[in-house]
Amino acid sequence: MSDTGPPAPSGPAPEIEPRRRLHPLSPLLKGAKSIVVIVAALSWQTLGQIGPTDFALIVLALAVGVVIFSAVGWWNTGYHVVARELRITEGLVWRRNRAIPLDRLQAVELRRPLLAQLSGLAELRLEVVGGNKAEAPLAYLTVRDAATLRERLLALSGRAAPVDTAGPDQPAGAAPLYRVRNHDLLISQLLTPQAIFLPFGVAWVAAQFLLEGSWTFIGIASTVTAMAGVLLQPIRRVLRDWDFQLAREGGERLVLHYGLTETRSQVVPPRRVQAVRVTWPFLWRAKGWMRLRMDIAGLSGPDPGDDKSSDRLMPVGDLPTARALVAAALPGVDLATLATSPPPPRARLLHPFGLRFLGAGLAADVFVSRSGRVTRETTLIPYARMQSVRVVQGPVQRRLGLATVYADTAGGHAGAAHDRPLAEAYAIADQLALRARRARATPVGAGGGGASPVADGSAAPVAETFWQPPGRP
Amino acid sequence: MSEPPARTVVDALEPWPDTVTWRPLSSRLIAVHLIGVATWTVVLLGGLLAGRIIGGQTAWLWGMAAVVVLGLWRAGVAVRAVRAWGYAERDNDLLVRHGLVVRHLSIVPYARMQYVDVTAGPLERAFGLATVQLHTAAAASDARVPGLPPDEAARLRDRLTALGEDRAEGL
Repeated sequence: MSDTGPPAPSGPAPEIEPRRRLHPLSPLLKGAKSIVVIVAALSWQTLGQIGPTDFALIVLALAVGVVIFSAVGWWNTGYHVVARELRITEGLVWRRNRAIPLDRLQAVELRRPLLAQLSGLAELRLEVVGGNKAEAPLAYLTVRDAATLRERLLALSGRAAPVDTAGPDQPAGAAPLYRVRNHDLLISQLLTPQAIFLPFGVAWVAAQFLLEGSWTFIGIASTVTAMAGVLLQPIRRVLRDWDFQLAREGGERLVLHYGLTETRSQVVPPRRVQAVRVTWPFLWRAKGWMRLRMDIAGLSGPDPGDDKSSDRLMPVGDLPTARALVAAALPGVDLATLATSPPPPRARLLHPFGLRFLGAGLAADVFVSRSGRVTRETTLIPYARMQSVRVVQGPVQRRLGLATVYADTAGGHAGAAHDRPLAEAYAIADQLALRARRARATPVGAGGGGASPVADGSAAPVAETFWQPPGRP
Repeated sequence: MSEPPARTVVDALEPWPDTVTWRPLSSRLIAVHLIGVATWTVVLLGGLLAGRIIGGQTAWLWGMAAVVVLGLWRAGVAVRAVRAWGYAERDNDLLVRHGLVVRHLSIVPYARMQYVDVTAGPLERAFGLATVQLHTAAAASDARVPGLPPDEAARLRDRLTALGEDRAEGL
């Protein structure tokens, strides 16, 4: 049962269950998705050239082809759970068998695009380390099947006992932690540069048209397209973060649920959050709002296109909410008490403007780094999740006797203490390595995460919140 | 955890000189790098010489002189870069330092290791050298130790994997 290494088909006979197929409607859904792509590829120009009847026929023929192709793929796709692995087989010509060890599972997400919502289906995505994208999207299953499979996978992925029995006070129910107010979400997305500058852009373009007096169809159409493109990101964010809810289930695991046209429901087992990033956009400062994102290994690659990835912890909220959510994602961390110290004044040469807003600090459980003058960002990296520490010194930094310390995480975003004096940089690096080791040594045997704040507090070497430079007298 | 020394004695290449014993790379790696530099220089010189023979302008000669100067400079850099490279095995982590212009120091805990690569190119093999690289789940961490004799590379690899298994937690 624990032996997952060699395949040994005859050995663990009672564990092998029959391979199951995805839902029979999935090829149709996938086909429907590609019709949009086909129409876009054929473009309106083609429609004008060949007339609507032929156009419809071409689209229909291509769609039928796609559906047949998807159906063949569906017939050859199967999944089953063997011991503590999920095995997925796919492909007709190029067969692909993949085994996903479930103890490496980082998060499970249940996605329901619009069409899937209408037909009662869902897509199950597993996040494992080492993949830039979801390694195993199972599209589509019925919602009930997907939910059962998810529970089963999560139970198998737990290192200790299943989560349901481990929770001391909340046996199965979810404790809601946070729910975004859709009103705030709308306003927060109106308070983005794109939305703020849009009226000026429209006015400018309209003035151009009025002055030249040429109201061509192409001109207006391209203007409208450009406006839509500019507004696409805020609109997408509103649609995606609509009705965002966060709850804590069982012992420690986080359950997220959000989305309007495409609903996503994500389960993050405990101790899978690699980093938490807090962002204060400039335009939100008057409202006192901020945004929280969490890095999960395998989920958030280093690519900046963050619209697809689901790494939200809080789309918009104020400081008390953010404190509560940070404490939920990283137990024992209080956002309001994380002090940092700025680089020395001689680093001004490297940062003429934002020097005051740079900073780094070693808190009890997390490494804190701040940056950004206009859009302020704070990165919290728990010592226990740190992968490696680097000290880098460029030529200018060497002149000034400075160095930058990086704390690498599996989430792709490194925390950085920029431009510290060299001796302090080495001291920070040394402390980071030491604290990472201690933090790792403590919580592994602790089972559930409920006791971890106390345990971490007693095990942390010094509970200093403010980093003391080592050159003190 | 050592008390950091005063700023005057801190050198970017020698952090914690009291507690860490840095090990240098094999000096044969210098030869490998020099051969690489020499090959490029010869290829470029050959091209320029052909240009001189076909074209006949004096500019080709200036180009050849520039290539020779560049080759000498790169040879000097290669020698110093190999000397700047070093690694140290502590109880719980591997330290690697490298770089002349931009200086790097990496601290990679054994417990964070995902896998170890041992590679050797044809030139490295001819000189009896190999490269050991330690990979973690973070793409950014670079712990690469080139220019190790094969037995030392095998020893380091075995030690890393053994320690990694001991302290295995991965993520």
